[in-house]
Amino acid sequence: MNTKTANLIDSIKNVASTILEKDIALVTGFSERQIEAISKQTLIIKAGIATGEIEDDLITFFLDGLKHMVTNFINTLKGILKVVLEKVWNGIITVLYEAIGIFPV
Amino acid sequence: MITTKTYKGLLIVFSFLLLASCKTYLAPTYNQVIVDKATEATTETYLFLATVAGGSDNDTYFSRESTYNTLISKFETLNLLAKARPIPSNKTTQRINNLLAERNSPSSSSDYPSAFAFNRIVENLVKMKETDQTSGLNPIVVEAFKGEIEIFLDQAITYESFLKR
Repeated sequence: MNTKTANLIDSIKNVASTILEKDIALVTGFSERQIEAISKQTLIIKAGIATGEIEDDLITFFLDGLKHMVTNFINTLKGILKVVLEKVWNGIITVLYEAIGIFPV
Repeated sequence: MITTKTYKGLLIVFSFLLLASCKTYLAPTYNQVIVDKATEATTETYLFLATVAGGSDNDTYFSRESTYNTLISKFETLNLLAKARPIPSNKTTQRINNLLAERNSPSSSSDYPSAFAFNRIVENLVKMKETDQTSGLNPIVVEAFKGEIEIFLDQAITYESFLKR
């Protein structure tokens, strides 16, 4: 492998790892907040049902809410994953174009 | 000296770059208006939830009715704004969706997680308003509504902020 190829490989690795390191940290923070909040919410509902303060149609409403928040938590992660993939893809394309001497728009 | 092998290599790289679009988009565009409006609505919601944190009596419901209506309309607007953006559709996004579907990942409204969250906040405020009107709110019910609204606010704002790339 010649020096130019090795440099190009390093540039690709750098752009990908810079994006991934920053975004994974943000995703981890979001996931931890969500898991903690969903756990707390479950215990609030449990306590409310036990004391009879949450009753009738509110029980159904809040239980549906738990299902919706978990579903949308996963869908939010999917949405974020698409943005991360897009950034990595465009970052690598930019490095390749610049190596050839073309500057992408 | 440039050899035939080098030419072939360059040709492959050029073909790849020409076939691949210059920049690809897999998610909707960032909209500062949505983030600003969501921040404003969040502050107003927290302010309102703080005023009823200790519970409320349905005798005083009418003093809160206009606040409920204002908040509901703000989150309905956000839901519309979030869904109004076109979702990029290409083979890559279809492959990602297919891959996630194979893993039994939830698929409902997956293209608009923030819109789904805003809509669920509307549902919470509507339900809270109905309960307040008919029987008043006890503190643990307010806490449960607040907990759910907070979770969906976090999902919506995190996703919308992430679109700024």
